[in-house]
This record gives sequence, structure tokens and C-alpha cells, in this order.
Amino acid sequence: MVNNLSVLICDDSMLIRKKLRSTLEKCKCETIYEAENGVQAVEKAKELNPDVIFLDIVMPDKDGITALKEIKAINPDVKVIMASSVGTSDHLKEALSNGAYDFIQKPISLDSVAHIIEKVLKEGNENV
Amino acid sequence: MFSQYFGHYLLNRGLITLDQLADALEYQKSVHVKFGVIAVDEGFMTTGQVEEVHEKQKQVDKRFGEIAVELGYLTEAQVEALISNQKQGHLYLAQALVDRKYMTIDEFGTALSEYKKGFSLSDDQFEAIRNGNIDTLVENILSSEDVSLQEKYGKYISLFAKNMIRFIDSQVYLEVADNSSLESTNWFISQDIVGEASLKTGFSMNEDALLAVASVYAEEDLTVVDALAKDAVSEFLNLHNGIYLVNMSNWGIELTMNPQQIQESTPLYEGSLIVNVHSSKGSFQLVLS
Repeated sequence: MVNNLSVLICDDSMLIRKKLRSTLEKCKCETIYEAENGVQAVEKAKELNPDVIFLDIVMPDKDGITALKEIKAINPDVKVIMASSVGTSDHLKEALSNGAYDFIQKPISLDSVAHIIEKVLKEGNENV
Repeated sequence: MFSQYFGHYLLNRGLITLDQLADALEYQKSVHVKFGVIAVDEGFMTTGQVEEVHEKQKQVDKRFGEIAVELGYLTEAQVEALISNQKQGHLYLAQALVDRKYMTIDEFGTALSEYKKGFSLSDDQFEAIRNGNIDTLVENILSSEDVSLQEKYGKYISLFAKNMIRFIDSQVYLEVADNSSLESTNWFISQDIVGEASLKTGFSMNEDALLAVASVYAEEDLTVVDALAKDAVSEFLNLHNGIYLVNMSNWGIELTMNPQQIQESTPLYEGSLIVNVHSSKGSFQLVLS
């Protein structure tokens, strides 16, 4: 059954966006938006008000951590999952201290995305 | 990786031809048994557990055995048993060359002894290389050129060799090349690592190599150097550099990296280290400075 989550994928890599979209579709997410850099991520987060955002860290124009801070200032409730190949403890701490919901390390596996979507849906149901 | 490296040593010494090497490496694939397969065969792990460890290996720079022990699937003793089972990996190349009648086993043994003597390897170093220790092999490749190269680039190249094997092709052979061997007409995909140990990293590739690496990484057959193909190679570099940053952070050195750049021609930097990267998917150059 299709879930009602809207998801914004933000990554400068076309390949990652394509793979993440396909993974999210397997997780029954139907409303999926895309952004190619941090500037677009902030604009689309404001305009589309998604429930979940997958946000890369190393990106041109505006990096993921800066975008995260701006997105959380606009919408404190959105669940931002940082998705990066750089999973150092400094990056993790910085992301979590700025309100990131979770962190997944690239290469992104179907299991890690499915686990997060399941967690978000479960929390949503508990809050109803 | 030692099979590829030693195979090229035999080639460079004129002991076998390129065709014979290619044939022997292809042939040994059919007899080479991977660690996970032996673990299942021995009844130590299930195939699901092996899959889980392989997935984890794509994210962290650790050996199969280390991860399996951390996850509680193997004990240290079982890992030791599996290593001794697998450690004769170079014998597969010997077997392939002998089976195909390209060398006798005596000729192979003599070449192996000469290799050890020629590179002034201690017994421990030689044993480590034969047992597939990539760190020691890379140290040997770099130190035979210039001792300072190992200190500057050793960790990076060692990880790169492992990531080529993990993500692109198990048959990898690296060699330090001359600066003049860079082709300015090649595509150049680069990324700068910034911090106390800054590093400029890049791949110089012709169209065929770019498409070959891109197709493997993207898991689809790419036939045109378009945005997706360039992006796939660029993302492989980004992933490798990300894992390198995690390793360096674990060693107490915090680094960051800039977004990747893609250029239609390779800039010829002064003082760069050029490493030829050969694999069954094609050859390209790793450029570091």
C-alpha cells in the first residue's frame, strides 16, 4: 500500500538521485521531489513542505550542513536524513546537533532507507 | 591483488606474454574461492550473514573477518582457520599458468624467489604480500620508486586499491608512472581534500575507461559519455574520498572535501604522482598532488 509521505531528495549526483528515487519507490513512497544543491534544497523545502528530506553533505553552492540549519529554521518538524560518504564523528555530531533526524552512509542500501521510512511512519502513527 | 601484481612482474620480465597473462587471470577466476564462500562452505556462516558483511564492507574499510567478528558471526579462531585456507591465493595463478602450460612450477617458484630478492623483501613482508595484504603491497610499490611517496600517499593509494576491488573490479594492478604519460585529451574527474593533510585527487580517463568504470558503478550499461556516465565516475571518486576521510578521522586527522569537478581535458600539474590503474574493465590514471 502506498504511504502518504512526501520526500525531497537533495544530492548533486544524478546517479544517487536516481537510485534513491528507485529505492523510495520500492518503499511505497509516491510523492518524491528532487533538488540538485543546497540552495535548491532550502527553496524546495520551503515551497513543497515535505515530510522527509534526504540531504547530501558535500554539494556545490551550499553544503548540506548549512542547508540543514536553514531548513530546520523554516520547518522544525521536517525529518532530515543526512546521506553522505563522509561519516566522520565530527560530521555526525554536527548534523545531529543541528537537528538531523538520522544519518546514512553511502553507498545507500535499500535496507537503511526502508528502515528509516518505517521508523518515520511508525512515529507518525503513534502521534495520531 | 598479488596475483595481478606478480602476473605483471612475470610479464615485465618477459617470462610470459600479455595474452598468456590475460588468459591465466581469467582462468584463475574459475578456481579462486572467496572468503565468504569458504565461510559458508565450512558451515561458519549463512549466506545471509555473508551478504550482510559484504554490504558493510562497502561502507567501512575493514576486512571481511574483522566485520564478521564484530557482528558476532565468526570467532577469531574461525577467522584464523579461514585465512589459512585462503592464504594460498597466489597458488591459483601458479596453477593457472602451469595448467595452461605457460610455465613450469619450477620456473614459477624461481620467479617468486627472484621477486622477493629483487624488491629486498623481508620474510614477513613477503608473507604479508603473498597473503593478500594490500597495505604492504602498496608500500612495496611506492617505496621501490621513492621512500617519501609511501609517507605522503601510501594510505590513500592502499585504500584506493581496496575500493577498486570492492566497487569496480577484483583484478586490479597499480604501477607508478611517469608524469609525461598523462594524456591532456583525457577526461579529468577531480576532487580536492582540504585540511592539515590536503590532497588533490583525480582520475584521468579516456572515453572507454570512463564508460567501463561508470557502467560498473552505476550498475547499468552506459555507452555514451553523458551526464550520468560522468556523474557515476565522479560519485565513485567521492565515495572513495569519503571513506578516506573517515579513516583519517579515526587516526585523528580531520579533513573536509570540496565538490567534484569534471573537465574535458586533463591539466598537466607539475610534481603530481601518477599511478596507472589497470583492471579487466580498462586502464586509467590516478593523479595525486
